[in-house]
Amino acid sequence: MATLGSFLLLASFVGCAYAMAASIAGARRRSQRLVESGIGAFYFVSALMTMASAVLIHAFVTNNYSIKYVQRYSSAADPLPFKIASYWGGLDGSIMFWVFLLGTFGAIAVYTNRERNRELIPYVVSVIAAVEMFFIFLMVVHNNPFSTFVAQGPGEGKGLTPLLQNFYMAIHPPSLYIGFVSMTIPFAFGIAALITGHLDDSWLRAVRRWTMVGWLFLSFGLTLGMLWAYEELGWGGFWMWDPVENAAALPWFTATAFLHSLMVQERRGMLRVWNVTLVIVTFFLTIFGTFMTRSGVVQSVHAFGEDRELALLFTIFMITILVFSFGLVIYRLPLLRARHSLDSWMSREAAFLANNWILLFSAFFVLFATMYPTLSEALRGERLTVGPPFFNKWMRPIGLTLLLLTGVGPLLAWRKSTLTNLVQQFLWPTTIGLLTGAVLYAAGVRVWASGICFALCGFVVGTLGQEFIRGAQIRKGATGTDIVTAMIGLVGRSRRRYGGYIVHLGIVLIFLGFAGEGFKQEEQATLKPGQQLEVGRFTVRHDALRVTNDAQKQMITGHVSIFQDGKPIGEMTPAKWYFAKHEEEPTTEVAIRRAFSEDLYVVLSGYDISKQTGVYAVTINPLVNWIWLGFAVMALGTALTLLPETAFSFAVSKVPEGAATTTLLLLSVLLWPTAVVGQTVQATPRSALERRLEGEILCTCGCRRPLNNCGMLNCAGHADQTAKLRKYLSEGKDHDAVIAAFVKDYGDQSILAAPVDKGFNRLAWLFPYLVGATGAASIAVVAFRWSRREGAPGTPAQNDAGEDPYLRARLDDELRDLD
Amino acid sequence: MKSKPIKIAATAVVLALAFLGLLYSTLRDGTQYYKHVDEVMADPGAWHGKKLQLHGYVVDKSILQKPDTLQYRFQVQSNGAVVQASYTGIVPDTFKGGAEVVLNGHLSPAGFAVDPNGVMAKCPSKYEPGKVGSPGS
Repeated sequence: MATLGSFLLLASFVGCAYAMAASIAGARRRSQRLVESGIGAFYFVSALMTMASAVLIHAFVTNNYSIKYVQRYSSAADPLPFKIASYWGGLDGSIMFWVFLLGTFGAIAVYTNRERNRELIPYVVSVIAAVEMFFIFLMVVHNNPFSTFVAQGPGEGKGLTPLLQNFYMAIHPPSLYIGFVSMTIPFAFGIAALITGHLDDSWLRAVRRWTMVGWLFLSFGLTLGMLWAYEELGWGGFWMWDPVENAAALPWFTATAFLHSLMVQERRGMLRVWNVTLVIVTFFLTIFGTFMTRSGVVQSVHAFGEDRELALLFTIFMITILVFSFGLVIYRLPLLRARHSLDSWMSREAAFLANNWILLFSAFFVLFATMYPTLSEALRGERLTVGPPFFNKWMRPIGLTLLLLTGVGPLLAWRKSTLTNLVQQFLWPTTIGLLTGAVLYAAGVRVWASGICFALCGFVVGTLGQEFIRGAQIRKGATGTDIVTAMIGLVGRSRRRYGGYIVHLGIVLIFLGFAGEGFKQEEQATLKPGQQLEVGRFTVRHDALRVTNDAQKQMITGHVSIFQDGKPIGEMTPAKWYFAKHEEEPTTEVAIRRAFSEDLYVVLSGYDISKQTGVYAVTINPLVNWIWLGFAVMALGTALTLLPETAFSFAVSKVPEGAATTTLLLLSVLLWPTAVVGQTVQATPRSALERRLEGEILCTCGCRRPLNNCGMLNCAGHADQTAKLRKYLSEGKDHDAVIAAFVKDYGDQSILAAPVDKGFNRLAWLFPYLVGATGAASIAVVAFRWSRREGAPGTPAQNDAGEDPYLRARLDDELRDLD
Repeated sequence: MKSKPIKIAATAVVLALAFLGLLYSTLRDGTQYYKHVDEVMADPGAWHGKKLQLHGYVVDKSILQKPDTLQYRFQVQSNGAVVQASYTGIVPDTFKGGAEVVLNGHLSPAGFAVDPNGVMAKCPSKYEPGKVGSPGS
């Protein structure tokens, strides 16, 4: 198997080389056949990489420990999903996963654009193939995931690090990789446009969606990373400016900047050099982030370990990228000249420009601070480090300014805003923002960063609300529907604009969560059984310490009772788990009590079994759940914008693309802790007949639910009915006889979940269908009449449009959005 | 329009200066020296009161904990130099005799006072099992 894997890698390398050579030659000689063959080879490489991935996953699933990589990252006892996740759990596999994703994405991008951007495609293929070649080269010469033990290998695997054996860890890295890798596609198109000189806006159109998808996945990966840190690492926070977190945030900043500035180019033909630069920088930062994580230049909890040779290879690759891309930009500068210049600083272009500067500044600041220890060591020979407080000091004002711009941008018109325009636009949002601030100040909030953040959130929400309401009113005037329908229709009609606003709303929610950090409370103490610790309005009482075992691990669990304002509200069970073979690294199982106002976060950080004492760290994290919620809203907005044009008319009724992801995340956020805690007690096995009857007979406690589905705790009728059912069954009665016996006991059929299906009772069965059919028919009739009314003569409301104030307002609104 | 480039240049210079000034002032409070125990103990007086990230190994059996509290006293060494450290708070799971640690805090004549949450136990095996080894000093 291992030989097959290595062979596949080598074959892909050759395939990439051919794809690159053939496409370039084809493009230069204008030979369509050569180009086609290059594209074919490119698809073939993607297929090869898929096969290689299948081989590696197969090795993991079948516990093939003769392969070093498999031996190191999995063990026979690991559950199946984690065995598969081990594919990207280590350095070698993650590089391979990267190439696999790049191949797949590249193939999709080339396939969908092969007709529309015929001139660009050969160069897109060759750029992607070149990047793939670099990574395959890394694998073949340096980190081959298929390398085997020379002599007899160990019979057992070491197992994935327990910290990584976690739901979020299984999906967090792939999500980030998807985000990183999809940034290669815009880069390839950008370079292709530079090489061919087709620098009109067609390449931008081709990459806009890719950038958005990549951006969405980057955000998703970052959010999952925060969730993982929050739930698994047990230090009560979610972001600590660790170099690897920063590495993932860097391309996020520049990609966000690009998504904004490309609008300026589309609308006004400005910022063309800037856009190309942003695409290149974003791609460069994804490679740089990988380099930082993989080569051990910066020290981090995440880092894979120091590796000089890898660092050298990466450095050469990065320098090549920079020299080549910026060389091309300089070469094409004459073609990149802007068609317009900035008319006024009071315009939306200017707001976008400011947003871009700040985002880019954030990226470079974070880069600088992350590299500072390495830089200072190189320059001064002394290793100086900067900690999270330094990052926070700088990023807080930067973040707040960005938030402000989020609110200001949509209020400004393209080209130039007049003074009356400004007053009209800014009046309400500013009032709302100031009001929020004043109310908070009066309520005694004195944490300045959070206070300003809340006020700005109020301002942005004011802006967004005003945009939605104005738009909806105009549409209401035009279509005559009610305001809610108008609002939904509005979003469906110009999805890019309103989808963007929804994304901004998500950002506001995320900022709310960040602001909550300002009111965080922490306490730590060693508690004997019965002793308690007070944090804010919560009291935590240590009751007992218990030790349990299962097949994989030993669990030390602290049982604590929680009181809120003196009233008991439940029990929590923070724990420490010692996985077999990783006893030196116990994992911390945090107990979190979630609420929208605040999380109660209890960690068992130490214990003494002989004295039954537990060391607890208790944190109250206000508003933290709004971050995850905000991401869900953001994903929804992005999905809305991404819907293809053809889905236009269905946009409202159809489920958006990202909804599954969103729902999953939301569900996982809400249900994860419950799912872990709420393990059901296995009941005694029952016969199929008994189970069927349990579904047909009701409890008598008043819940009107069948026995197997009563929602009431300690349901009074449940035990009686079950006992009776058991008794009848043990008497040897069959299904109908039991039903008859129950009906006889209770005098009528009200004890049954559904009436017996015969005679007059048939009507009861029929009733829901009748209602359904009537409903469907009436909907059809109404729809038919509505659709006819539109075409019907005699309602020429549109004809005297020139005087209609609604249409005038609508025209104004759309003009503001256009140009 | 001779004044326009001058204006732009002046704005740029002022902005750049302001930025550099801010960066310098924040860096001065924000940075910490990253040192090994032996580097610091070669001349302890020079380091008194400075923010330090101290890298070393916990001396075996030197960890003392005041019963039923979170107050710790322990010794950290590297290359033979030893310093006494004190800390109040929760220690990581991997904090034990012989563990490689990085401590945030200040040096004073009484020893090394560790900041709250300032103990980071290095765990080189976290992501690369089998490659346990200390980075060269």
